[in-house]
Amino acid sequence: MPDFNPTQYAVPLFVIAVLVEMIWAKLRAPEAYEPKDTLISLSFGLGSTIAGALLGGFALAIFIEAYQYRLFDFGPQWWAVWWAWPVCFVLDDLAYYWVHRAGHRIRWMWAAHVNHHSSQHYNLSTALRQSWTGALTFGFLFAVPLVLLGFHPAMIAICSGFNLIYQFWIHTEAIKRMPRWFEAVMNTPSHHRVHHATNPRYLDRNYAGVFIIWDRMFGTFEPEVDDEAIRYGIVKQLGSFNLLWAVFHEWIGMLSDIWRAPLRHKLSYLLREPGWSHDGSRETSDMIRNRWRARVAAQGAPVASSVATRNPIAAGSEPA
Amino acid sequence: MDIPPLLLQTAGSLAAILALAGLAWWLKLGGAPVLVGDNDIRRVASEVEDGFEPLDWAVSQDHTAALARDAEGRIMLIRLHGNRFAGRILGAKAGARAAGDTLTVGCGETWFGKTRLIIANPNPWAEAINRISEPCHA
Ligand SMILES: [Zn+2]
Ligand SMILES: [Zn+2]
Repeated sequence: MPDFNPTQYAVPLFVIAVLVEMIWAKLRAPEAYEPKDTLISLSFGLGSTIAGALLGGFALAIFIEAYQYRLFDFGPQWWAVWWAWPVCFVLDDLAYYWVHRAGHRIRWMWAAHVNHHSSQHYNLSTALRQSWTGALTFGFLFAVPLVLLGFHPAMIAICSGFNLIYQFWIHTEAIKRMPRWFEAVMNTPSHHRVHHATNPRYLDRNYAGVFIIWDRMFGTFEPEVDDEAIRYGIVKQLGSFNLLWAVFHEWIGMLSDIWRAPLRHKLSYLLREPGWSHDGSRETSDMIRNRWRARVAAQGAPVASSVATRNPIAAGSEPA
Repeated sequence: MDIPPLLLQTAGSLAAILALAGLAWWLKLGGAPVLVGDNDIRRVASEVEDGFEPLDWAVSQDHTAALARDAEGRIMLIRLHGNRFAGRILGAKAGARAAGDTLTVGCGETWFGKTRLIIANPNPWAEAINRISEPCHA
């Protein structure tokens, strides 16, 4: 089994790229970086690497167990089956889309994934802002179907490593749009800015890793509009540069909600979408978006590039 | 002597992190935005809570924090966080204390902390905030 972790080798490139983007920021957009925010984001990156090294073995053990029950067998030299690599990469990206979507729609998983979103900045250091607590969710189970199909766990690990490396460069405001054909198929800075935005129209959109086609296919795609300033982060901004609070705030919030909730609602605070509450005292992303739509419609202004607003039937059918 | 590779990588990464954050600081990236005009207040308030329309407000003398009230009587605290603004609609857990022209406001969240505003006549704001009995809509 090849012991190869592509992200590890990419780290020096990440450092150089952040450095280059900082120089760009100095010349064009000094507000794009904030030293304390950068320090927190990069500490998230380091911590998640350590957490992965310490806790990643559990997922690997499950994959290796599941591999015993594979449907197809690529043989002992599975790595030499060249076409298996691109197929594995595309299927792994599909699995990423779903794990990422679950990461936004199931509070248990959001408790970990929120780490990636809690910066009010959007630059290459934000890309390295990765969760410490991913192993405490069940996200890795989304890749088990690939193992059962016969893709070796090491092949999947390498593909998802390259997937993560791809996602690094799209965390920037320095690139406005890529060529049209590229924007159509691939995840880009423009598409991913939408994903990190808290503007109501953008909430819970563009879950893609490498290929944006999954969002177009499953109804979660939203294009970036040019006449609305993006604000980044989470609906309820942290307002704190405390690293440990940034790591654990949503775990603490979720557990205290479960603790206080009436018995029959406890599970909902674990498995329903962030912002859901049994007494309607909070707002989910769908509620915020609907309220915004109603407000804009009442003001009589057309909601630019929002098909759903022109089509009330589509507005009622929010994806889960 | 054998140094475990994870330890070596961690030390290297930590050095790189401090170097990059230090560079951001040295390049003076960030800047300090301020709340000056009415439009700033309206824009930031609607960023904190979509659709929040301030009717009246008080901006701290240093232009880094503000209180805003909407037609429903909700009070929003806005303050600088790094070089962005963050805020909260104040609930029952919020508290305020006026001393001279200094108003200290807490939204009830430990890590959001307390915000100090220098405003003329802070007492009515303090009383209004301490009167809020609505449960904090977190
Ligand atoms: Zn996300
Ligand atoms: Zn991202």
